[in-house]
Amino acid sequence: MSQEDPAGENYRTTVKRNRVLHWSWESKLPLECAAHFIRMRSMVDDARIPKPGFWSNWSSWEEADAQNSLGHDPLLVFPKDKLVEEGSNVTICYVSRIHRDNISCYLEGVQIYGEQLDRSVSAFELKNVSFIRKRGTNVFCKVDQGGALGGIVLFVSKVLEEPKDFSCETQDLKTLTCTWDPGSDTGLSKQPSQSYTLFESFSGKKTLCKHRNWCNWQVAQDSQETYNFTLVAENYLRKRSVSILFNLTQRVHPMTPYNLFPKNVGATNATMTWKVHSIGNNSTLLCQLELLAEGKVIQQHNVSIKVNGEYLLSELEPDTEYVARVRCAYTNHFWKWSELISQKFNTAEAAPSEAPDVWRNMKMVSGHPTVSLFWKPLSKVHANGKILFYNVIVENLDKPSRLEVLSIPAPTRSTELTLDQCSYQIHVTAHNSVGPSPASVIVISGDPGNEEVESGRVNGTEDGFSVSWKPQSGDATGYVVEWCDGPQDLPCALQWKNLGPNTTSTVISSGAFRPGVRYNFRIYEISAKRMAHLLEKKAGYLEELAPSDNPQVVMSNLTSHSFTLSWKDYSTESQPGFIQGYHVYLKPKAGEQCPPAFEKTVLPEDSLCCKHTIDNPEQKTFVVENLQPESVYEFFVTAYTSVGEGPLDAFTKITTLDEYSHILIRIILPMIFCVLIVMIICYLKHQWLKEKCYPDIPDPYKSSVLSLIKSKENPHLTIMNINDCVPDAIEVINKPEGSKIQFLGTRKSLTETEFTKPAYIYLLPTEKNYSGPGPCICFENFTYNQAASDFASCGHFPVTPQAPPHQLGPLTSPENLLKALEQNYMNSLGEIPAGEANLNYVSQLASSTSGDKDSLPTNPPEPALCSEYKMQMVIPLGLASAPPSENSSLSSTTLLGQGEHYR
Amino acid sequence: MDLRAGDSWGMLACLCAVLWHLPAVPALNRTGDPGPGPSIQKTYDLTRYLEHQLRSLAGTYLNYLGPPFNEPDFNPPRLGAETLPRATVNLEVWRSLNDRLRLTQNYEAYSHLLCYLRGLNRQAATAELRRSLAHFCTSLQGLLGSIAGVMAALGYPLPQPLPGTEPTWTPGPAHSDFLQKMDDFWLLKELQTWLWRSAKDFNRLKKKMQPPAAAVTLHLEAHGF
Repeated sequence: MSQEDPAGENYRTTVKRNRVLHWSWESKLPLECAAHFIRMRSMVDDARIPKPGFWSNWSSWEEADAQNSLGHDPLLVFPKDKLVEEGSNVTICYVSRIHRDNISCYLEGVQIYGEQLDRSVSAFELKNVSFIRKRGTNVFCKVDQGGALGGIVLFVSKVLEEPKDFSCETQDLKTLTCTWDPGSDTGLSKQPSQSYTLFESFSGKKTLCKHRNWCNWQVAQDSQETYNFTLVAENYLRKRSVSILFNLTQRVHPMTPYNLFPKNVGATNATMTWKVHSIGNNSTLLCQLELLAEGKVIQQHNVSIKVNGEYLLSELEPDTEYVARVRCAYTNHFWKWSELISQKFNTAEAAPSEAPDVWRNMKMVSGHPTVSLFWKPLSKVHANGKILFYNVIVENLDKPSRLEVLSIPAPTRSTELTLDQCSYQIHVTAHNSVGPSPASVIVISGDPGNEEVESGRVNGTEDGFSVSWKPQSGDATGYVVEWCDGPQDLPCALQWKNLGPNTTSTVISSGAFRPGVRYNFRIYEISAKRMAHLLEKKAGYLEELAPSDNPQVVMSNLTSHSFTLSWKDYSTESQPGFIQGYHVYLKPKAGEQCPPAFEKTVLPEDSLCCKHTIDNPEQKTFVVENLQPESVYEFFVTAYTSVGEGPLDAFTKITTLDEYSHILIRIILPMIFCVLIVMIICYLKHQWLKEKCYPDIPDPYKSSVLSLIKSKENPHLTIMNINDCVPDAIEVINKPEGSKIQFLGTRKSLTETEFTKPAYIYLLPTEKNYSGPGPCICFENFTYNQAASDFASCGHFPVTPQAPPHQLGPLTSPENLLKALEQNYMNSLGEIPAGEANLNYVSQLASSTSGDKDSLPTNPPEPALCSEYKMQMVIPLGLASAPPSENSSLSSTTLLGQGEHYR
Repeated sequence: MDLRAGDSWGMLACLCAVLWHLPAVPALNRTGDPGPGPSIQKTYDLTRYLEHQLRSLAGTYLNYLGPPFNEPDFNPPRLGAETLPRATVNLEVWRSLNDRLRLTQNYEAYSHLLCYLRGLNRQAATAELRRSLAHFCTSLQGLLGSIAGVMAALGYPLPQPLPGTEPTWTPGPAHSDFLQKMDDFWLLKELQTWLWRSAKDFNRLKKKMQPPAAAVTLHLEAHGF
């Protein structure tokens, strides 16, 4: 066992004979941890004996060994259940009976390390221990993997604090109540919470307080005035005390007054009554009566009372809620005000004290002057109660008549009157439950008069609109400025401001004013007859803004060099600023200069542009001139105010006309129109047209030519009946070689060749055998151009009946013609039907150039031009055999001519 | 089927006869005494509920004691807790217990534990903990009453406490606060083990007391048919 240094301590006491002395000492190291030895010596400490005295000899060492009585537990920890204050240093130790090294100790689960005193004892010093819980701090040791466990609970108490704010007072001079702030609770499961004892030194009495922070003390009957109290706080470890000395009458804190009520409450006064608890005999209390309106103290009165308090409050407002509150203090020596007691009350109503502010708006409805009357609600100060209704009395000034009285219930603030052309005086009064207000008088003339007055502008500032005007007449009794609070497109919430007769300017401000909204102000002069005359009109913006939208531009009169832009619908009135003019932007095609009226400018997106400024807001058309024909231009029009111009919208593209297009348009359009008309007529009459011009099956009976021929010259001409045809002639065609050669060699015109000579040998009856109209009949299709036939303009080609129509074209050339003739000849020898052998079919081709004999060979009639195919016609034999003259070429043979030959 | 009027009267008479003899049917002849089955079930349910309740209470209380008592693997030697009734028992012994002994052991254990628990309540320093402990004590008192009810239903007498063996919570002067905390720890642990064991006991008893399924079949072998 290690040897600790001996510790010495002095103990002073008075020695008496046969008196056993006790001295208690607490070792820092628990006694169980090590054997303690003690010895003592003494010295006389008496003033009568001169110093220094002499120490006696040491006694022999006495051993205090607690280890022997520890029992047989394998592991023990000491000190058991020790109570210390927070911040203390505590030494603990364990005593092991199992002599093992692997013992570890823990403070609240955290291992601690100490000093081994001997083989079985180790000591641990815990420094500055702190409070953890009321059930104490656990310190335990255990043998690792051994199962043996021992531990202690160290109770760490919070340090007992001195009571703070210790004071005593009385409410009735009978009981003193002392209060204090106890600070932290030092209670543990090992130690109860600190106790408080109140000790009074003059009387020597004390009382144990039941509560942590207050204590009652009964005042003695012997009228003790001065008290010296000591409050002692105590726990197992410590005592703390605090003292106060005071005079009882200087610590009087009266109880809260009670029964505070208003009495005889009128419109402007009320009496408040209250009571207080008496303090002693004949003691006086000073009470403070406060009157509050809307949370603010408006009156304060001090009243000295004994038990009953009363005070008349005056200068009150009618129909107003007030709060009265009272607190009292001991008059002899002010210590503290009592708690407050409050009471709410309302004063009675009174008649309204001011006439309502009335204004009017006149308009004509169905020829009658209609007056809209508006009035503002009376302020609370002037209403003196709840306004129940408004009376409107209408008095005719021009002719004596009964007064018209209208009663309009509140809170309506307007009414409408339909009057005639007379002048009227209108009285408006506001009524509450007590009575009416003074009347507000307004005179309205039946003739609205000429209201056209000068219009001006007014500038808006942060404070509002500064409106000024010029007085017109000297007898004005006042002025009224009238305006609408909302934007123009909303229904007008009419506002007005009354001004005195000497005023010529005012600032109109309203929370409803917004930037970018046009406000119109009208200034009226009120005459001595209470009649209003319009003086001036003003319009203004609180803050002008750039236009929010651009004019809707219509383009017209587009020519090759100009076009016209117009935006007549653009309203300058409803813009967020005064429109000062317009900007016309034009983008010419690349490389082109700006037209003369424009100047170059740069757009925000850095593109070059031409700009023309119109500084007249009422000019809403503009002609863009001096443009290039057939060029693409882009234009855009925006309005501008003093702040700026409207938003940059998309440009509109336009292409100027070419220089002649307008002429073309003047011709082509009517032509197209005519063609359309013709097409429509053709479409509508197509059936008729078809029948007339190109029937599917030509009906000879229906042929008009027949009737024409019949009626005119050849009454014997008739329609061939198929039975009338008797094959009685054979046509033999002689094909001379020479003619062929001549065709090939000379390439002369058909009219000049021998072709028309007897190229055919007609095996037909002779002319003399022919008697009148024989079986040869003329078929004719009268869709054939009459003019052409009249002028014998069609070429007549003798063809065989089998000649298909498609061969007509090639036949027009000499070679093809010869071939065709050969082929037709061969065909005719072998294949001509017997019934058709007597017929000579002649194809008729109309040709516009057939009249030009010289050009025929070089310009043979084209099939397309000769598509007006005449149906085959039987030519009378006489005509066929007649020697063709120079003129009687194929093309010159006409039907009418042939007809004449018949005769 | 052809029914005549006479047949209807016959059937009505037959029905009346059945109703008349219904009290004589053995399977229905019960006077509303359900036997110990429901009370065993209720006791079983109560043990499960108390198990749940204790889990929350023990957590709070062991935190109140502080480490190492609230550490999950803390298993101190059973030093001062020898007087607590042990719940752990050899499995063979447990199986061989008869119903009366089983119930008696339960009753005695909870009587002791309840007494110790009340002592614990007196020591608790916080009001909330005192409330929780008082609530648990009431529930445990209910369990004790429930066991007594089962014993009464089965016709077993309640065990009489021997004079002088009344368990008390009087820690001696040598009993340190640390050991006191260990006792508290063991009390809660033993209580938990007892609740586990009781759940098993009453589950076993419940199965044993369950009437055979055939007994609930209604036999309409009425006389006169």
